Amino acid sequence: MSLKNGTMPLRRFHSLYARHSALYAASLILLLAALPQRSPAQAHATLTAPHVTVSLLVPPAQIYPGQSFTAGLDFRMEDGWHVYWTNAGDSGEPPTADWKLPPGVTASPLQFPPPKRLPLGPLMDFGYEDEVVFPIPVQVAANFNPSDAQTALAAHITWLVCREVCIPGKGDLRLERAALAAPPASPQTDAAAQSLIAKFQSQLPKPLPSTDTATFSPTPKGFLLDVTTGSKTSSAQFFPLDETVIANAAPQPAQATPNGVQLTLTKDENLQATPQKLNGLLELPDGTAYEIHATPGTIATSTTAAPPTDFGSILGAAGLAFIGGILLNLMPCVFPVLFIKGLALVQSSQHERHKLRAHGWVYTLGILVSFWIVVAILVILRAAGQQLGWGFQFQSPTFLALMALLLFFLGLALAGQFEIGLSLTSAGGSLAQKQGYAGSFFTGVLAMVVATPCTAPFMGAAIGYALSHSIAVSFAVFTALALGLALPYLALAYFPGWARVLPKPGAWMEVLKQAVSIPIFATVIWLVWVFAQIAGTTALTGLLAAFLLLAIAGWFLGRWPGKAAAATIALVFLVLAAVTPIWSVRMFSAPRSFVVAGVVGNEQPATTWQPFTPALVAQSRAQGKAVFIDFTASWCLSCQVNERLILNRADVQQRLRDSGAVLIRADWTNQDPDITRTLAALGRSGVPTYALYPADPNAPAHVLPEVLTPGIVMNALNSLPATNRQSATLSRPITH
Amino acid sequence: MRHSLSKALTVFSAIAALSLSAWAVKVGDPAPDFTGTDSHGQTHKLSEYRGKYVVLEWTNNGCPFTRKHYTSGNMQNLQKQWTAKGVVWLTVLSSAPGEQGYMTASAENAYLQKVNADPTAALLDPTGAIGHQYDAKTTPDMYVIDPSGKLIYAGAIDDHATTDPSDIPNSKNYVSQALTEAMAGQQVAITYTRPYGCSVKYQGD
Repeated sequence: MSLKNGTMPLRRFHSLYARHSALYAASLILLLAALPQRSPAQAHATLTAPHVTVSLLVPPAQIYPGQSFTAGLDFRMEDGWHVYWTNAGDSGEPPTADWKLPPGVTASPLQFPPPKRLPLGPLMDFGYEDEVVFPIPVQVAANFNPSDAQTALAAHITWLVCREVCIPGKGDLRLERAALAAPPASPQTDAAAQSLIAKFQSQLPKPLPSTDTATFSPTPKGFLLDVTTGSKTSSAQFFPLDETVIANAAPQPAQATPNGVQLTLTKDENLQATPQKLNGLLELPDGTAYEIHATPGTIATSTTAAPPTDFGSILGAAGLAFIGGILLNLMPCVFPVLFIKGLALVQSSQHERHKLRAHGWVYTLGILVSFWIVVAILVILRAAGQQLGWGFQFQSPTFLALMALLLFFLGLALAGQFEIGLSLTSAGGSLAQKQGYAGSFFTGVLAMVVATPCTAPFMGAAIGYALSHSIAVSFAVFTALALGLALPYLALAYFPGWARVLPKPGAWMEVLKQAVSIPIFATVIWLVWVFAQIAGTTALTGLLAAFLLLAIAGWFLGRWPGKAAAATIALVFLVLAAVTPIWSVRMFSAPRSFVVAGVVGNEQPATTWQPFTPALVAQSRAQGKAVFIDFTASWCLSCQVNERLILNRADVQQRLRDSGAVLIRADWTNQDPDITRTLAALGRSGVPTYALYPADPNAPAHVLPEVLTPGIVMNALNSLPATNRQSATLSRPITH
Repeated sequence: MRHSLSKALTVFSAIAALSLSAWAVKVGDPAPDFTGTDSHGQTHKLSEYRGKYVVLEWTNNGCPFTRKHYTSGNMQNLQKQWTAKGVVWLTVLSSAPGEQGYMTASAENAYLQKVNADPTAALLDPTGAIGHQYDAKTTPDMYVIDPSGKLIYAGAIDDHATTDPSDIPNSKNYVSQALTEAMAGQQVAITYTRPYGCSVKYQGD
């Protein structure tokens, strides 16, 4: 009797007897393991157990020295029953095989084809339904020397077969084969068995090609797994090889990347520390499976701060962008347009109002389309940048240089050296003067174009954000920005009276515009400083020369405004200005020697910070010393603030020295992969991070807040066990 | 500005993470409180056992993994050994009516007597409420709660994920280890493992 039927009467009678008898029947059948078959041509040995038939497949008819072949373990399940993958998921256990082989014959472990996700209420198992064959590579040694004409290949098999209920099974399978002392002239093979094994062998996961990469980065909820497979893929499944790392039942939203796929994985709630590697199978929609061992890393360009599907994050970013868009209207370049249009509305007659509202919407559309074009350009830029191997991040000196140049040029325009986009403005202006809806549309476009130079800081932030996020996020942010920009005019179209409260455009706008250039130049200084840290002073000369080229270009534009020849010359200088720092980075980018700056004019002897290596941390802790690591980067302003104001304070310095802790500075300016890994292990993906590792190598690190106070540092140091302050040597092994 | 944008995003995702993980149980956190009725009709509230160690054992007497520990007498020995030291041992039955392992009060009492089991109480949880609260996955699935109400161990009963009782003498029992270490004032070395066994037969599976 099967348990499937046996469960029915339980509902009413709770009959222990019925349940037990089912199990006893099950065990009895298992004991009736298949008897050895004598026929030499027998391709497989089979045993029949409740709900599953298990067969050992050995295709070759002879066993001989130097032979290698693939055997198979075939499970055929009744409908609805399943056996398990190597990681069974939330419940269940994989099959095992314990071999008894003649001397000289060795069998490799079972190979597991990619499983299916098997949901069970709130749980998720990984396994196989219907039929699965586990291929088993077998090797025969060159010195295989059979004593008999026959030899036996036998295995003790255990498994668990489940539907709603689970039935463990075990049994012995044994096959006899002709044993030869030398390879035969004509080896015989059971073609049916071989092709069945080959069918499942072809599904086995492949190693990821060496040209592709698998990277993961921790997120608050789990991991972002980024795998390049050579082709854009919008869906995939990840099966973890390690237990208790990810929440098996959680959905795995997938997102296409330019040449691969990105999955958002949810971690196991009880995961203690970020794993060194994320091991598992990645199965693509076409059935291809790769075995991946993802290493920690910053996942570039696509999504860093938030997973793409995190609707709340997109909403938050879009909300901020919307408010920013409204504020854009106050900028001196946009305000006159709004003012003039507003006055026109006030003067309009009542019967025109209806039509004007329609114009308001067309104006909105004009702004929206312009912003969408910006998004399209950004998407293309990002894809191109990726192909060139640039990351759009502050670790890339090329990105830094181009950002600095862009801001410097806009700064020149704001300061009044020249009027940016004058020809554009005039072209747009003539278009905007057109009557009808085309005029309104181009007024919208114009608002966006003229807004650009004096809204650079905000646009820069939005563009930077968009470059480091997915297309969907970029689209949402820019759409919200556009709607925000359009809103005041749209509002005036409905309530023209509001135009009366607008201040008159005037000289104050020019003053405001010039004032905005000051923070822009300050930003340029910061970018140049970071650039110098990364690329070195020789490359810096190239960047500074590029500023000069921009100034010349600006002079041409300002001296002969609207002249085609001047604009052409300016364009040549602009191109030169863009190329020079890129070239100098390529040519001169020196291996950076980041000198830890002490306090300027400080009489205190600077505390010695040693550069980070993983070995130094392990070694120091093995010697019984606590370790304090300052994870920093020269482009990180809050890191500099913490170092200058807190870590370099005399009393904090004294306390650091007294603590006996080894002080290590992990400089992430160039995104060192060892540092990235160490940060990931702390559950962090960026700097500033301050971590205090107790001397006990098994004790967890204490991560300090991002914003330090002297009290935070001192309290953390005080919490070290007293032994850490002496140089007691512990001989504890370092466990990983 | 870029910075404040990402700050805002961090806050957003943190809120999202919090609202999603409201029901998950984490070792080191307070164990979720529950009230359950045992096979004698008495109610037990977890928070009333503050000051004592509490062991939660998910069971299903039809599951071969659970049977491994009952036919060998291993589970009964653990129950006797630890309740004698003042530990509150609650066996939880989260199988839904009609599913394997579902027991009425009288059937459970008869079963407990027959196999000579000795938990403090066997809680009948046919709706799976307690099971879902703890995210219990398998039978057996074990939880150890310290006198302050903090969860100090969750996971497998031991390190041999098999149905073979002959493995028990060679197994490291994680529950006993956690209780021994915690009672000696030590840090529990292994606080979380993958539980092994049959899936809990919740309602609607």
